[in-house]
Amino acid sequence: MKFSYFHLMPWTDLKEAPTEWPAGNSGFVPERGKEMYDAYIDSMVFAEECGFDWVGCNEHHFSPYGLMANCNLIGGALTQRTSKIKLAMLGNLIPLLNPIRVAEEYAMLDVMSGGRLIAGMIRGVPHEYIAYNVNADESRARLREAVALILKAWTEPEPFGWEGEFFEYPSVSIWPRPMQRPHPPLLMSASNEESAEFAGEHKAICGLTLIADLDLARRSIETYTKAARAAGFEPPPDYILCGYATCIADTDEEARHNLEEGERYFHKVLMASLRDAQRLVITKSRYFGDQETGDRFVNRLVKLKERNLDDMIEAGSVFCGSPESVVKQIKRVHSALGNGVFNLNFKIGNIPDSVVRRGMELFRDKVLPQVYAL
Amino acid sequence: MFTTEQAVLDTGPITYRKGGTGRPLLLVHGTSGPNHTPVTDQLAQRHTVYQPIMPGWDGTPQHAAVKRVPNLADVYAAFIRTVIGGPCDVIGNSFGGWVAAWLAARHPDLVEQLVLECPAGMRDPGTGGLPTDPVELRRQTYARPERAPAPSRTQEAYWINRNLRDKIGAGSSLDEALLRELPKITARTLIVFGTKDEISPSDKAGPRLKTGIKRSHLTFVYDAAHALEFDQPERVGRLVTAFLERGEGFLVRSAQVV
Repeated sequence: MKFSYFHLMPWTDLKEAPTEWPAGNSGFVPERGKEMYDAYIDSMVFAEECGFDWVGCNEHHFSPYGLMANCNLIGGALTQRTSKIKLAMLGNLIPLLNPIRVAEEYAMLDVMSGGRLIAGMIRGVPHEYIAYNVNADESRARLREAVALILKAWTEPEPFGWEGEFFEYPSVSIWPRPMQRPHPPLLMSASNEESAEFAGEHKAICGLTLIADLDLARRSIETYTKAARAAGFEPPPDYILCGYATCIADTDEEARHNLEEGERYFHKVLMASLRDAQRLVITKSRYFGDQETGDRFVNRLVKLKERNLDDMIEAGSVFCGSPESVVKQIKRVHSALGNGVFNLNFKIGNIPDSVVRRGMELFRDKVLPQVYAL
Repeated sequence: MFTTEQAVLDTGPITYRKGGTGRPLLLVHGTSGPNHTPVTDQLAQRHTVYQPIMPGWDGTPQHAAVKRVPNLADVYAAFIRTVIGGPCDVIGNSFGGWVAAWLAARHPDLVEQLVLECPAGMRDPGTGGLPTDPVELRRQTYARPERAPAPSRTQEAYWINRNLRDKIGAGSSLDEALLRELPKITARTLIVFGTKDEISPSDKAGPRLKTGIKRSHLTFVYDAAHALEFDQPERVGRLVTAFLERGEGFLVRSAQVV
């Protein structure tokens, strides 16, 4: 079993929830921002000492939800402060970006890290399409073409041009090329059936986050596996990643208290302005291929928000408790899903960094020894 | 508006289609025979397009001198001299790309600019090639089957053409002699492959042509299989017309043609 330490880099100092999208940035204090970046990067570096196999980060825009508008910058910092942990960019929001730039930056990260990149090719949550003014109807088609172009940029030995639906480049030849051959492993979301098929078709690591219940997650994994097999690929367990909000403390009570506080800030403050934007994109565009998938996405968010902690633990949506409790929860989910990677997010909302660090130490000393052999 | 005309070359008679106005452009067709694609119409707006029918194809007389691909290239050279009257731009598609590459290598003085669309003759043995099963052939030919044209010849006529191609091509997937001759091509060359081409896979052919031809550009057309002029006529038309009009200037995005 492999474990990934994931960070959203949230802004934790808001006293009130933003009331509209995008969140006004007058409350951002650069000096505090510097402190947060320092603390968050320290935490990600510490993940290597704690035995995590991957460290993960991602891209979000126009929101205190996450301070990584370009996670590759964080990845660049991590290449210089870590030596063996895989750097999982989970990922760049490919349809919003210049795919050649993504190919270049990912190749830089792969070379700078000595071949440790896991290249997330993510479509992005709906509201990001407002931020970058990209047609949400085209999100899937843009992702498909951009991924093909990035793979070509990584693997084609001669300069080439590209004539596509969304992208035209007369001559491409990136420097550097990635270190991993033929290219770094891809990771794609499998949070709905369509995404799961797409990930399987591309022989990518499939990533499931916001797991509302284990049955739904299992169905997505089945869809992914079927599509991968159809593409001639038998995905090993470590090609199935499940993301979890995680809180480990010395006692169950302490962990529950910490996570409840963090979740409150996460849902009431950080998510506040995002929901309206997400609703807008989902209802006013064809971001999701069909109404049912869109409804499922919204319902899943609502479900996750409304449930109490016991419900979430029972549903297999979070890991929370003492090391002994978390070991049991991890084993249970692993038994149900057969995944080979857990992507653990310890920094939920405004959980203090000292609490996060204590949780990481407990993970290293008391959880990992019990679950690494799964 | 295209017309069908006749000419007599030293090696024998030849039938060709001609249409459009402008700089002369020679089209070298693929295995199945001449096709009129949406790109042909775009080209005819800027060029006088000549599309000879390979000797023996579509019931035309065979030329005894045509044994192998270089001989066929020589027939096209004679056509340029006799009918067009001087050097011209050349587009070769699939098997026609193989022939056109030989034409440009053996007669560099006759080819001004060269476009090789999904050219044959450069793939590794055991990869690609035309399937015999018609369902599989159609699947590999078109990424967008809804854009495929109605058949313009019978299956029997298709197989006569295809057997001729197999005879002249001598069953070769990789033409080592052409590979050695590629450096003799002096024409600026655009090499085009569809990203879904399984018949002329680009993985080895693209780099071979790109490194072999000195002044060449390799371009991939996204979401196109072997019949890329049918699969993506707008993209191919835009690309090829820009190249033929602007030469190396096609690399520069510009609102104005300078």
